[in-house]
Amino acid sequence: MTQLDHPGAVPASYAPGPATTNLADILERVLDKGIVIAGDIKIDLLDIELLTIRLRLFVSSVETARRAGIDWWETDPALSSRAAENVLAEENRQLREQLAALERGEAPGPDGDGGRRKKAVRSGGGGRGRRAEDGDGT
Amino acid sequence: MTAGLPVAPPDRRPEPSPPDDADGTSLCVFAVCAAAPDGPPVQVAGAPGHAEGGPLSLLPLDGELAAVVQEVPAARFTEEALRRRLADPAALESCARAHHAVVTAASAAGPVVPLPLATLFADHRRAHAVLTESLPRFRSAVDRVRGRAEWAVKVHLRRDDTPPARATPGHGTVPDAVAGSPGAGRAYLSRVRGREQQRVSRRDAAAAAAQRVHEAASAVAAGSVRLRPHGQEITGKDRVQVMNAAYLVDEARGAELAAAVAVVRAEVAGGGIEIEVSGPWVPYSFTAEEQR
Repeated sequence: MTQLDHPGAVPASYAPGPATTNLADILERVLDKGIVIAGDIKIDLLDIELLTIRLRLFVSSVETARRAGIDWWETDPALSSRAAENVLAEENRQLREQLAALERGEAPGPDGDGGRRKKAVRSGGGGRGRRAEDGDGT
Repeated sequence: MTAGLPVAPPDRRPEPSPPDDADGTSLCVFAVCAAAPDGPPVQVAGAPGHAEGGPLSLLPLDGELAAVVQEVPAARFTEEALRRRLADPAALESCARAHHAVVTAASAAGPVVPLPLATLFADHRRAHAVLTESLPRFRSAVDRVRGRAEWAVKVHLRRDDTPPARATPGHGTVPDAVAGSPGAGRAYLSRVRGREQQRVSRRDAAAAAAQRVHEAASAVAAGSVRLRPHGQEITGKDRVQVMNAAYLVDEARGAELAAAVAVVRAEVAGGGIEIEVSGPWVPYSFTAEEQR
């Protein structure tokens, strides 16, 4: 169940183990667990923590979008080849904007107030929680 | 496949290259596993490691333990490059799954102690030096997980269908005609209180169910650990995670754990409580020294 199949991704067939190897389960194990050895290249744990939060937001967005029938990014090869660029971050931000609009029951519009949204995402889900509470089940 | 992983001697690269050498390679360590010379060969069939890296190999640490390693392009695995790449959900997913696949595949031959994603060294010599410093930790971890697997158990409470109470006038909660009459406020408050009580009692029932699941699973397990519950971002807004736990279970007793949990599941059926079991996992959650 590779969610974003793109060149370089490991196909699901390469992942033996439990059938329900969802990404959240894998991440909480490969990031948080095991014996931590100080390697030569240091990755700040705090950074990784932030990454997981960001990813959780993304996973959630993917699920929400799938339910709404939006899956264009899964088949767009351009998206993954630009992965290393800021372009993808921009795409993600726009995607979140559109999803937020969808959740509010509006048609997905083009771009919104970028700065404000970015801030909301960084603040770690408080904004999302409020939005979910207020959502009317669209 | 009968051939095991090729064994790379620690002195394979006599002149260590600095980690920031843009043209060179770094060494990614996935796991430490039991690899006695007379034991079964360690294989990682079907798990290629990181897409941009070379073939996987085995770095012997002592007579019994070896690390599963892969040479990767140093430039793609610097701190800066990793921070940038892992901030991209697709790249993070691909890295995490590649790491998990190698760890899981290696576990087919025997006990495996996973290292966190992207544990990197300048070269074989550095990896060997640092990993051998921790041999006692690896030995005790290997002994702890030998012949055992991790099973994940999660308990969720489905949200009540009752809409959240709102005190906003004109929102449809209180009809206007009644809103003006005496006692309307009290009736409204009592409704709110009723909903709150219902919510609390559902929570209590879910907590009790989680406790029973935990007791049933623990009776079969050699160890247990509570993980941080997933937030709404993962569970979806229609349910709350009340328990996220992992159990260390003898390989032969996995089905027993599933059966024990299924008994509780049947007992609490109908209360909006969902119990999920997944496994067997490589015992990721049971290799660190401190176990709660």
